[in-house]
Amino acid sequence: MSFRFHQYQVVGRALPTPTNESPKIYRMKLWATNEVRAKSKFWYFLRKLKKVKKSHGQMLAINEIFEKKPTTIKNFGIWVRYQSRTGYHNMYKEYRDITLNGAVEQMYDEMASRHRVRFPCIQIIKTATVPVALCKRENTKQFHDSKIKFPLTYRKIRPPSRKLKTTYKASRPNTFV
Amino acid sequence: MAPTTKKPHTSRNKPVVRGVGRHSRSAMYHKRGVWAIKAKHGGSFPTTAKAVVEAPKELRAPKFYPADDVKTPLHKNKIINPPKLRASITPGTVLILLAGHFKGKRVVFLKQLESGLLLVTGPFKVNGVPLRRVNQAYVISTSTKVDISSVDLKKFTDVYFKREVEKKKKSEGQFFEAEKESEEKQLPAERKEDQKAVDAQLLPLIEKIPDMKSYLGARFSLKSGVKPHELVF
Amino acid sequence: MPFRRYVEIGRVALVNYGPQYGKLVVIVDVIDQNRALIDSPTIVRTQINFKRLSLTDIKIDISRNPLKKELKAAIDAADVHNKWDSSSWGRKLIVQKRRAALNDFDRFKVMVARIKRSSLIKKEMSKLRKQKA
Repeated sequence: MSFRFHQYQVVGRALPTPTNESPKIYRMKLWATNEVRAKSKFWYFLRKLKKVKKSHGQMLAINEIFEKKPTTIKNFGIWVRYQSRTGYHNMYKEYRDITLNGAVEQMYDEMASRHRVRFPCIQIIKTATVPVALCKRENTKQFHDSKIKFPLTYRKIRPPSRKLKTTYKASRPNTFV
Repeated sequence: MAPTTKKPHTSRNKPVVRGVGRHSRSAMYHKRGVWAIKAKHGGSFPTTAKAVVEAPKELRAPKFYPADDVKTPLHKNKIINPPKLRASITPGTVLILLAGHFKGKRVVFLKQLESGLLLVTGPFKVNGVPLRRVNQAYVISTSTKVDISSVDLKKFTDVYFKREVEKKKKSEGQFFEAEKESEEKQLPAERKEDQKAVDAQLLPLIEKIPDMKSYLGARFSLKSGVKPHELVF
Repeated sequence: MPFRRYVEIGRVALVNYGPQYGKLVVIVDVIDQNRALIDSPTIVRTQINFKRLSLTDIKIDISRNPLKKELKAAIDAADVHNKWDSSSWGRKLIVQKRRAALNDFDRFKVMVARIKRSSLIKKEMSKLRKQKA
């Protein structure tokens, strides 16, 4: 799977000065499309939260964080702060996915579609894997069923590869299989 | 002795930018031939004796310039090697001919000649394709093979297939006799004999494989809906 | 006509798009309304969109998210591959594959065999027709 967003762990601090030879080190986990943007996002947050700017700071480390178990399904809760046209709002979202990156991507897509908010206006406050008993949203809870059973409706048989795709067909598809 | 004009020494590693050579250190190691000095290669730089240049004969300048420009032929040092045989073609492979009079015919490959052309035959008895040379570019090779290791093909070379060029003399007498000459050219009897001999050797080998004879007798063609790029041959 | 094939845990499905094209897999868990977790002894457990799956009639008895070992045992117990190969859908795929692998000589032999068969059928048919007349 290739994800649009990757999770990075970024470590940085202010530059040492004669008065403060070992300034406090900050570590942040955040999502970005690549390392360069992750570093930029790190300085953006640090500048807001602490009195440290890029011009007087240094980057100590940046690592990508990968999903430990990408073969199990988890319920991810994501706490989000976003800037709408009128003001700032907080929000809690729940997604079922196999990776946190996937859930974050779902969140960005959903925020864009439902609220027309793009990536720069969204700040992820916190993420967590939520145990089944604590899940809040009906849309995630309905899949917590080991006897789940539903048909697939309105099926279109697609060609086996992109190459064989055609725009026009001689016959209408049979959508009930 | 007259002072010899020597070229000033330059490095063979021409710089791309000042300080950055075109070749790497290891590339220069091989280029300069330092490897040859190593003990296991003899310890000294291999040299080749300079060819003794014969002193050019003194030529007297011609008295007159030639009236017409003399064209000097262009220098040719290109060697045309015979093409490599496609890996899928081995003696006995059934080929499908793609061009010429026999296009679509399935034939048996016998051997590659020195010129790189392929020696094939139908056999003539089966589908009418005689012993013939074809370019491998105009051929599809199939995975079907006939065991022809016992067939004797020593006789067939490029020279064998060479046509004798008739020398034409233009004289009035012959001009009127032209009608007489335009008789159909007959294949030399020797060729016919050879074809018969090869066919006689090939036929029992082909008949050993069921359906093979009728397969070679049939022409290959594409039908509608058949995708040649997806076919396995 | 009611639905016959459902998305269920243990439903065997055929992948009809993407890198795992043509593989027979088992639905191991359902992620959401669009995706499922699939597994088979030959692949790594992954998610896949339902649009890329064709459900089959075969269903095996497994718990949700089973161990690979359990899955293998369940597949063997249900005799999935034999069932699939003897189903008309599975047989069609096998025939397709075999046809595509035929070489020129094989295609010729098939053509000859078909001519022979049809001539035999015609002969018998004309006999029957004469009897009736």
